[in-house]
Amino acid sequence: MMKKFRIPESMKQIEFIAWQSLPVVLFCVAFAAVVTILESSFHMRMAIQNDSMVPGFAAMLILRELAVVVTALLVTSRAGAGMAAEISSMKITEQVEALKMLGIQPWSYIWLPRFIASVVSLVILTALANSFCLFSAFWVSNIYLGFSQGMFIGSLQRFIQFQDFLLSLAKGAVFGAIISTVSYYFGMNCKDGADGVGNSTTNSVVCSSLLIIIVDFALGYMFSFLY
Amino acid sequence: MSFLTSLGQGVIFLTTILGYFKRLDFSVNEVFEQIWKVTKESALMTSTAGFFVGAIMTIQFTLQLNEFGALGYLGGLATSGTVREIGPLLIAFMLSGKIGAYTSAELGTMRVTEQIDALKCLGADPIRELVVPRFLAIILSSFFLLGFGLVMSILGGVFMARIFGGISPEEYFRYVPQFVHLGSIVLSFLKCLLFAIILATNCSFFGFYASGGALGVGRAVVKTAVITMVGIVIADWITSQIADVILRTVVQS
Repeated sequence: MMKKFRIPESMKQIEFIAWQSLPVVLFCVAFAAVVTILESSFHMRMAIQNDSMVPGFAAMLILRELAVVVTALLVTSRAGAGMAAEISSMKITEQVEALKMLGIQPWSYIWLPRFIASVVSLVILTALANSFCLFSAFWVSNIYLGFSQGMFIGSLQRFIQFQDFLLSLAKGAVFGAIISTVSYYFGMNCKDGADGVGNSTTNSVVCSSLLIIIVDFALGYMFSFLY
Repeated sequence: MSFLTSLGQGVIFLTTILGYFKRLDFSVNEVFEQIWKVTKESALMTSTAGFFVGAIMTIQFTLQLNEFGALGYLGGLATSGTVREIGPLLIAFMLSGKIGAYTSAELGTMRVTEQIDALKCLGADPIRELVVPRFLAIILSSFFLLGFGLVMSILGGVFMARIFGGISPEEYFRYVPQFVHLGSIVLSFLKCLLFAIILATNCSFFGFYASGGALGVGRAVVKTAVITMVGIVIADWITSQIADVILRTVVQS
C-alpha cells in the first residue's frame, strides 16, 4: 500500500515545488507585505485620522489573505507551469500510453506524488511566507512608520489569534491540491505537437489562478463564520 | 553575473523598442489587431478575478471594521484599497499568467522554428514586425483591462456588502467620493503603466531570444512569469513608497 505513494518521487517533487520557489516567494511576499502596511497606514490616517491600529490591521490582512494567495499564485506560475509542461511532454511523447501498457495507472504514477508534494510544499511555503511577511511588516512599521517593537507586538496580540495562522495553512493545502490537479488535467488533455504543450501550459496557469481566487473567496466566506 | 548580463540585455532591448516609437516606425493596423486580440482573450478572466477579489476584500474589511463599529466607512475604504493597490496588482498578475506566457511562447516558438530568421532573410525587420506591435498592444490593452477589473471588483464589493454586511449600495457609495480622489486614480493608472511595461519587456525579451527547442520555449515561459512577478512587486513597492512620501510632504507643507 505504501509503495503506491512513491515517497522518493514525492520528495523530489517537494524539492522542485517548495525549495526552488522559496527565494522568489519570500522576496515577493516581503515586498507585498511592505506595500500592504504602507497602504493601510494611508487609509487609516484618512478614515480615522489615527494610525495606531495599523500593525494589527495589516497583519490580519497579511495572515488571512495576502501571504497565502500571493504564494499560491507565484507557485502556480512557476511550479504549476513546470508540472503542466512536463506532463504534457510525457503525453505527446506517448510515455503515458507506455505506462498504461505496463499496467500502471497514470493517475497513481503521475498525479499522486505531485498531489502529495504540492499540498505539503504549499503548507510549508505558506508557513514560511506568513512569518517572513510579519517580519518585514514589523521592520517597516518600526523604521519607517515609527512604531516601537512593543506597540507592534501588542497590536498583533489584540487582533490575531493562532487560529488565523492555522486557517491560512488550511487554505494553502487546498491551493496545493488545486495547482497539482489542474496541471495534471491540462497536461493529460494536451493536443499533439509543440504548440499543444505551450497551450496546455498557459491554460493550466490561467485556470489555476482563477480557481485559486474563486476558492479563496469561498473559503474566506466560510472562515468568516469562525472568527 | 548572468543575472546582470540579462538585465543589461533587457534594458538594451527596451531602448531599441522605444527607438521605434520615437521614429513612429510601426504599423498601426497591426497594433490594433493585437490590442483586440489581447483584450478579447483576457477580458473575461480579469473581470471574473476582479469580481471575486472585490468580494474577498469586502468580507475582510467588514470583519475588521465591525470591531470598531465603523461599518459606514466600508465602501470608501474597500473601494480606495481596490483602486490604489489590489486592482493594478491583480490585473498585472493575471495578465502575466495569460498574456505574458502566451506572447513569450509565441515568440519563442517562432524563434526556435526559425521563422524569425526567415523574416530577416526576406528583408523584414523582425522587431518592427513582431515585437513592437505586441509591446504597444499589451500596454494599451492593460488600461482597458484595468478599467474592466476595477468596475467588476467594485461591483463584487457592493454585492458582498449587501449579502454579508447588510449594507445597501447607497450606504456603500456614500464615502467613496471622500476617500477616492484624483491622486488615487492617477496612482492606479501609473502603477498599471509601469507593470505593463515590465510585463511587455520581459515577455518579448525572453521569447525573442529563446533557444534550445521546445524545452527552451518552456524555460523562457517560466522565466518570464517569475521575473515579471518579481519586477511587478518591486515596482509596486517603489510607487507606493514614493506616493506616500509625496503625500506626507504635501500634508506637512
